[in-house]
Amino acid sequence: MTPTKINQFGILALVLFTLIAPWALPFIVDSFWVEIYSEMLIWSLLAASVNLLFGYVGLLSFGQALFFGMGMYGVAIGVAKLDFSFWPAFGFGIFSGTAMAAITGVFAVRLTWHYFAIITVVFSLIFYFMALSWKPLTGGDDGLPFSMPPMFSFGENIELSLTNSTIQYYFIVIMVGLCYTLMAIVMKSPLGRAFRTVKENDKRASLIGLNVYLIRLTAFICAGFIASLSGSLFALFGRYASASYMFYHVSGEAVVWAIIGGVGTLLGPIVGTSLLIILREELSHVWEHYQLLVGAIVIIVVIFAPKGLGGLWHGIVNQLCNWVNRKTDNSEDPKL
Amino acid sequence: MDLVIALGMNGIVWGLIIALIALGLSVIFGLLDIINIAHGDFFMVGTVLAWLVVQTTGNYWLAFFIVPIIGFGLGALIEFLVIQPIKNAAALSIVATFGLSIILQESVRATYGAAPTRLVPPIDGTILLFGLEYEIYRLFAAAVSISAIVLFFGFLHRTKLGTWMRAVRFDPEMATAMGIPSRTIYLVTFALGFAMAALGGVVAAPITTVDFQAGVDILPFCFMAVIIGGLGNLEGTVAAAVMLAFFEGVMASFFDPTIARIGSLCLMSIVLLIRPHGIFAGTTR
Repeated sequence: MTPTKINQFGILALVLFTLIAPWALPFIVDSFWVEIYSEMLIWSLLAASVNLLFGYVGLLSFGQALFFGMGMYGVAIGVAKLDFSFWPAFGFGIFSGTAMAAITGVFAVRLTWHYFAIITVVFSLIFYFMALSWKPLTGGDDGLPFSMPPMFSFGENIELSLTNSTIQYYFIVIMVGLCYTLMAIVMKSPLGRAFRTVKENDKRASLIGLNVYLIRLTAFICAGFIASLSGSLFALFGRYASASYMFYHVSGEAVVWAIIGGVGTLLGPIVGTSLLIILREELSHVWEHYQLLVGAIVIIVVIFAPKGLGGLWHGIVNQLCNWVNRKTDNSEDPKL
Repeated sequence: MDLVIALGMNGIVWGLIIALIALGLSVIFGLLDIINIAHGDFFMVGTVLAWLVVQTTGNYWLAFFIVPIIGFGLGALIEFLVIQPIKNAAALSIVATFGLSIILQESVRATYGAAPTRLVPPIDGTILLFGLEYEIYRLFAAAVSISAIVLFFGFLHRTKLGTWMRAVRFDPEMATAMGIPSRTIYLVTFALGFAMAALGGVVAAPITTVDFQAGVDILPFCFMAVIIGGLGNLEGTVAAAVMLAFFEGVMASFFDPTIARIGSLCLMSIVLLIRPHGIFAGTTR
């Protein structure tokens, strides 16, 4: 029994659960949890983009909502104003968010630490106020709704569209799954190692010949891509875009999800996001002021488990394995 | 032209109030190395406490004395419960204070309610100034802010506790070795930061509205003042706050307020990129 095996088993269980969720969830709880589960998957991508920057490169971004919002607006403006069909609009959403990340990243990653956190907030606020005041294009505070175009149409009558909830669920699962797979591949690649080197010690990284600025910029654009994918999916899921999703509170929430889940772990963001969204869904009916509990949980996690639930899990698994291995070793080791 | 003068004046008054609040933020950052996301909510708690004092006693003047004292107590409590345990992990301070901000906002919403209200200023009437009728209360608010700021700098430079605070900020280990109780100094500093934000809330309550989300709007502005003035540079913070608010006030007389806000945000990103240590870097310590 090794920690890696247990973790692989955990990932397998999560994937299986995700695949059968549309049938399994209505048996256990109410069927509206399928919708909430797909919402969790979408939001977890936003937390994952924070995690990529903070957990792997060491840059704490408080402005990921900007790219989320750009993704949302890309899709909504594409469909409602430019008359795009499904795939071009989806691509346009991801493109606008990623392009925004590339442009702002050129400036933002010149700074690190506190200054980086603050300039990302400033950038997201600038575009938040722009989206608020540019009402003809963005709809301002009211948002910009649109009607869902079909994904594929065969002949006259047969259409594949996200209006079918099963198709919508699996579309989201495939996109989110692809994104996480891509992230896992990148993190194992030399680029992923370079990310972690920069996080550990940027001076040494530059001394061994890594271009720290370029690596940070790459990570920023990757994170922007993930956030804009998340925003595009959320626009398709909710069929509208709104400036309120670009506010820095949304970014802050994503940071909280990532840190509670555990930064620097691949699946930490999913855990953190799910936990807090479940809490919201379960408690908001029972107790109007459930946010008090959310705030308290955030503070308690930061104080007692600074590595988040992911870090806690790894600690427990390692201890368990050590304990089990020692028990089995004892009989064979004559010295003990 | 009248509009430009009026909005410019409003900008200066508002800038002085912001300076008072941002000074608290700057002190907390400079000494404890904590980025306090909840600072806007400290201000908001101040406005709500002012409302509470007026509701219970009917006397607004009392709020100017009681609220900062309550703020000091709350600040000390928060420092003890939340800030002290995360002292060694500065990255997490942003997250912990974000949680704090959620708690403060939600507890105000639970007790005070979600509907914004207006407070009647304790001084009525207007005065003729530069050819236009100007509210006396705003001038009074500016005077209170200036005296609080002057008092604070006097405290920092002329008293034993203030000297200790500067010493701990300069070199915490050496200060502790010299017998300065740095633990207490951290507590007092954080509490003082809360008290200043709360006083800012009392002063500003009749000018703005009392609302549980008031802190969310004011926080970016305070951060702008702190950054442009230079992180931890207290005099710079005050100057930057007044300049920024004046700039925004004058901009707002020509354009839409949102455009004015975008303008000052752009100004701030330029400052951050060109002079990340603030426009006054190098002039002081």
